[in-house]
Amino acid sequence: MPVVNLVFGRIVDTVLWPFQGLPPWFGLTAASLLTSLLMLEAYKLTSDQAAIRRAKDRIKAHLLEMRLYKDNMRASWGAQAGILKANLAYLAANLKPLAVMIVPLVLILARLGLWFDRAPLEPGRETLVKAKLAGAADPAALDLRLETPPFAEVSAPPVRIADEREVVWRIKALAAGRGRLTLRAGDRTAEKSLAVGGPELSKVSARASRGSFPDRVLYPGEPPLPDGAPVRSIEVIYPARRLAAFGLSVHWLAAYLVLSIAFGFALKGVFGVEI
Amino acid sequence: MKRTVPLAVLFALAALAPPLAGYIGPGAGFAFLSSFLVFFLTFLLALFSLVSWPFRFLWKALRGQRAYRGAAVDRLVILGLDGLEPTLAEKFMAEGKLPNLARLRKEGSYARLRTTTPAISPVAWSSFMTGSEPSKHNIFDFLSRDPRTYLPALSSARVGKPKRALRLGRYLVPLSKPAVEGLRRSVPFWKILGEKGVFSTVLRVPLTYPPEKFKGHLLSGMCAPDLKGSQGTFAFFTEDAGRLRMREGGVAVPVRREGEVIRTEISGPENAMLRSPEEIRLPLTVTIDKARGGAWLAIGRAKGFFLEAKTFSPWVPIVFKAGLGMRVRAIAKFRIASLEPKFEMYMTPLNIDPEKPALPIAHPFVYSAYLSKLLGRFITLGEANDTWALNEGALDEAAFLELTYANHAEWEAMLRNALAKTPRGLVAIVFETTDSVQHMFFRYLDKAHPALEAAPARMSAAVVEELYKRMDGLVGRVAAELGERGALFVMSDHGFKSFRRGVNLNSWLHRNGYLSLREGQAESGEWFKDVDWTRTKAYALGLGGVYLNLKGREAQGTVGAGAEAAALKTELGRKLAALKDGPNGPAVITRVYDRDSVYAGPYKDNAPDLIIGYSEGYRASWDGVTGIVDAVVVEDNTKAWSGDHCIDPALVPGVLFSSLKINTDKPSIMDIAPTALELFGIAPPGHMDGRSLIGGDKPAGGKDKKAS
Repeated sequence: MPVVNLVFGRIVDTVLWPFQGLPPWFGLTAASLLTSLLMLEAYKLTSDQAAIRRAKDRIKAHLLEMRLYKDNMRASWGAQAGILKANLAYLAANLKPLAVMIVPLVLILARLGLWFDRAPLEPGRETLVKAKLAGAADPAALDLRLETPPFAEVSAPPVRIADEREVVWRIKALAAGRGRLTLRAGDRTAEKSLAVGGPELSKVSARASRGSFPDRVLYPGEPPLPDGAPVRSIEVIYPARRLAAFGLSVHWLAAYLVLSIAFGFALKGVFGVEI
Repeated sequence: MKRTVPLAVLFALAALAPPLAGYIGPGAGFAFLSSFLVFFLTFLLALFSLVSWPFRFLWKALRGQRAYRGAAVDRLVILGLDGLEPTLAEKFMAEGKLPNLARLRKEGSYARLRTTTPAISPVAWSSFMTGSEPSKHNIFDFLSRDPRTYLPALSSARVGKPKRALRLGRYLVPLSKPAVEGLRRSVPFWKILGEKGVFSTVLRVPLTYPPEKFKGHLLSGMCAPDLKGSQGTFAFFTEDAGRLRMREGGVAVPVRREGEVIRTEISGPENAMLRSPEEIRLPLTVTIDKARGGAWLAIGRAKGFFLEAKTFSPWVPIVFKAGLGMRVRAIAKFRIASLEPKFEMYMTPLNIDPEKPALPIAHPFVYSAYLSKLLGRFITLGEANDTWALNEGALDEAAFLELTYANHAEWEAMLRNALAKTPRGLVAIVFETTDSVQHMFFRYLDKAHPALEAAPARMSAAVVEELYKRMDGLVGRVAAELGERGALFVMSDHGFKSFRRGVNLNSWLHRNGYLSLREGQAESGEWFKDVDWTRTKAYALGLGGVYLNLKGREAQGTVGAGAEAAALKTELGRKLAALKDGPNGPAVITRVYDRDSVYAGPYKDNAPDLIIGYSEGYRASWDGVTGIVDAVVVEDNTKAWSGDHCIDPALVPGVLFSSLKINTDKPSIMDIAPTALELFGIAPPGHMDGRSLIGGDKPAGGKDKKAS
């Protein structure tokens, strides 16, 4: 998994690196375009294009049938049944490419999430750092200390939530910078990155965890916490990044979905892909 | 098991993903979005259909449509088998080879069906649909002529240019659709049915191009053009210089091989968007793959496909770019006849793509797209079966039959769909399979046929027998779906006879002093190229028509109207009826029909002045039809096209099998329309010449017209 993360991380970072100083839309558009190209080719190679074309043709035929036989209830209902049947065939024909494409897509999405999901802390802003304890550890009994890099400080003593087996600190960003938070419990330590300020588009990892498979897939921004670490995960609550479009605030994933579909649709003819 | 593993992986990964990450890219994302849209749209349409139904019902009631009220049947199915010959059908029934037709005859009725004068498909089927004699529907042959130029014109339709166009540099951008004018007059009976609320599905009935509006669906048949505007122009790509003589129905394209690659072009339609129109051409690259026994074909920039030798490709979409983003779409099939020593490949005429038709070939316009999406692309050309390709040797007999029966299968699929979707009303279809196969294989039934002497027989009479058996199977399948209140008519527009000898009437007219050539000319090329009209009294055009060169009608008329014309017609009729094939040979013509005796309708003046009723075994010669004048009057027909019906109509009646008892043993093709109307409780209009075959023996339109 680390190798896979490394490869996908490098690719996504390389693609987005030129867009760091620009508004996030530029990077997102480039990522959507490249994803479209990649996925179109993957779709073409892994799907049964003839079956998809057949299913689509039948859907269109039955839609026309509803218009042509509007006075014939039996034919009309038959057409609707035909549409549903053809639609199921269409979905079934999409299962294979879907199964193949979901693996790289989840990895790419997780990587893109590092760039677009959260924004770094602004200097002067406060936020929370949450540490989930490992095993059956009692947060009240554990001597857990948080050390911050020089551009941040702990602004309030920790709150220990026994039911959640969680310890929460409030920290304050003092100046722009990149560094690491360190949690100490006796001689055991765990580290987590911290990002304050920086270019408009920058990578932000919200969570470090001990390294279960799903966590490693979905939070690839930093190395997993060591097995002997006193906590299961450390999370910094960064502000969510929202993209502005026509006066609306748009979630990056929605924008990515729309853009990549639009690119896919626009380029399918060029690549000769039946979607 | 194979399917469950990826499914399990899929669901596992989907479960792990954050909420929106269930989206998996442009391909599947689009697929799922569109699927959702389809579900949503279907739901809306279903709702609309349900909610609007009472209103539609009420609207129909308010308009006074009381369809099916007095109907004797729920559904009438008319199965047209073009050219089915009664003597052959009767023979095969007697031999027990046509059990379904025999059952229909036993349980219902059977009779020979009188055809029209002349016995030509577009004429006969026009009379079928209008219930009228030819001078009421204005169709007298495949060809008519322009009396100003003496040149032929299609009798069925005229395709004009768009009425408005915008000049844009070298382009002429059409601002309206091209004007397509149907020349068949009178009203098809399905239009009358529709006015009374009876729904019809009409498939490939000849002379239904351009399609007319009515309550129902229609796909045009015979006379619908190809993309080039012709009645079908095949292409034959060949390295053999000796095979470049094709002159009818197709073009031979010389090609040259460089290594294993042949670069040539597909000749498309004329680009009407250019101010100086020129043909659109598409590059065609053929890469021969001897190891696989075929070749890769790449058309334009489209993805190539592999075609095994001696195999027909499926319908291949071909897109011609006319400029300014305008595209004209065609479909064609390919067949490599030979890879070595000389490459030879046949391409069907460029059919109008039914999915995106360049010209209207269906009513409503989307009907052809619907059929194409549902059943796959299909042949749209009116004269679908490529008899010319077989005649000219671009297809061999087995390939012709393969292509013909593939077309037939497409039409049967359409018919079955129509039967499933038309529980009440009319379903009418015409299969031209019977006509085409008999035209091309009739010589195998006639051991004395000159074509058998000219070329060795490769097949046998079994081809025709097999044809009849196949049609019988079709009848059986349709009869099985008929239902209790359904009626079935199986009919042909005319019969068939051997075509042994061709008669060039223009040569006869020349020899007898009625047609003169320019000084110094002994012969004339096509379309009367060297005829001196100022000294010509009569000329023949088409399959059975003789026109007088009439003053005031023809551009350079020489014969006065009235008594002079009548006397000339009498004289010509007498002499032609006496024409013998050699000094002691049989009569070539059994009867010459004077149009004033056989027609009484408003379009009589457009008919030929005389209609020639050839004897059995004779027909207008290939040269005579196209206005060639030479020294030969009667000659052997050595072409594969060896059966015909363009002879005396009395010799080539069609057939009528009916699941209902009919009231006469001498029905006429004009009787079908009034019968259909009566079956749905509608009184046939007065202009129809036919009479109902069901019930009492009363004239349909209040008149008792003689059948031709």
